[in-house]
Amino acid sequence: MSPQYSCLIVEDSPMMRQLLVFALARIKNLRVTEADDGIDGMRKLANAKYDLIITDINMPIMDGLKLVKRVRSDATHKDTPIIIITTEGSQEDRQRALALGANAYITKPIQAPQVIAKVKELLKVTE
Amino acid sequence: MAAKASGKQRPTKPVAGARAVSSRGTASSKSNGTSSGKPTKPAPKAAKVRAAPPDDLLEKREQFIQTFFRRGAELTEELIREDEQLRSRLGELERENAALRAHVASADAIRDMLVKITQLEKEKRELVSRATDASHTWSHSAERFAEIEAENAKLASLYVASFQLHSTLDLRTIVRHLKELLAQFVGARVLALYLCDEERGQLAPIASDGVPLAKLRRIEPSQGPIGEAWIKGSARWVEGDSTRGTLEAPAACIPLRVDDRTAGVLVVYSTFEHKPSFVDVDFELFKLLGAHAAAALLAARLFAIHGGNLPSLDAFTEIS
Repeated sequence: MSPQYSCLIVEDSPMMRQLLVFALARIKNLRVTEADDGIDGMRKLANAKYDLIITDINMPIMDGLKLVKRVRSDATHKDTPIIIITTEGSQEDRQRALALGANAYITKPIQAPQVIAKVKELLKVTE
Repeated sequence: MAAKASGKQRPTKPVAGARAVSSRGTASSKSNGTSSGKPTKPAPKAAKVRAAPPDDLLEKREQFIQTFFRRGAELTEELIREDEQLRSRLGELERENAALRAHVASADAIRDMLVKITQLEKEKRELVSRATDASHTWSHSAERFAEIEAENAKLASLYVASFQLHSTLDLRTIVRHLKELLAQFVGARVLALYLCDEERGQLAPIASDGVPLAKLRRIEPSQGPIGEAWIKGSARWVEGDSTRGTLEAPAACIPLRVDDRTAGVLVVYSTFEHKPSFVDVDFELFKLLGAHAAAALLAARLFAIHGGNLPSLDAFTEIS
């Protein structure tokens, strides 16, 4: 039986969330949960453990960088792989996210094959 | 030599005939009656007639016998040597024979191996051919898979754009979605939405990102690329670098069409640095927005005018 994976998408834009859900539907046995912003993301992380977190950087209330910081300081989720997605393609944002503990960085506009490849890589999905 | 020393002694290996002569000679001397004195019977005629052979004859006989025996011994030795030689030769031939048999067997083995090698070479060629075919098939399939994945991603983007555009009748939300679509799907850094002011015959900027709305001016018909896109009703975009567009020379102008009229123009002045040029899916998205955005905006506006109330059922039944 193939392993089951779970992924939490934290993104304030409904269309980006929808696009990500469409892209991730290409990966078998991956269950996707959506969160509207960082606070909603933390709430969902408090109730469940995920194999992967994908988060936007620019979000209201709690941005992606703060979310990464909180996740990395949480004993339950400190080892969960995190992919940062943002419209900013600057080296500075990338370095900040990676320094805080993000595992990968994807810039918008996202390319579905790129997202799928990154997710598979971090989840160690071979098929 | 012993025979010579005793004078008349017989050879060491006496011959049957010679022995007979000697015994007869002895019998003759006894018959002379010198030893026992008894009268003896008269000797037979033959014994009385024969006398001892002469010495030279005896010597010849002796020589003949010696020669005979010597030749016999030589002949025997020769036969033994020949026998040894023949045995040796036989051994050699047997060894040669074994070697030849081994050689023949080895040649057979080599022949079998050559046949096997030929078969294996053939199998190898077939396998290489099949592997090459499989590789080509796999390569073709991989390319096809990538194309399908890209097409799928494109359709997903278009579906999401369409879904978000028509999922609400709130004008503000639609405008926000339009800006998000351009920013997040196309990578637009500076953009604006112009709508048609039919009373003044101008295009008026109503929303923007990356540039203050106050900085944008109204556009007259055929004024610059935006005015041309409005009047001609056809989209315009730059080929190549889309990051260096300006307010005067935007990267893309997409007329928003509804019922063969242009209700407004979406303008992408420039894109982010990491989005250096437009790609296929962007053009598809431009087409979709050009065909759907105006309808969504007008529907939202009309819905707002009617206080957010759904039209009565009569409005729909009158259609048929």
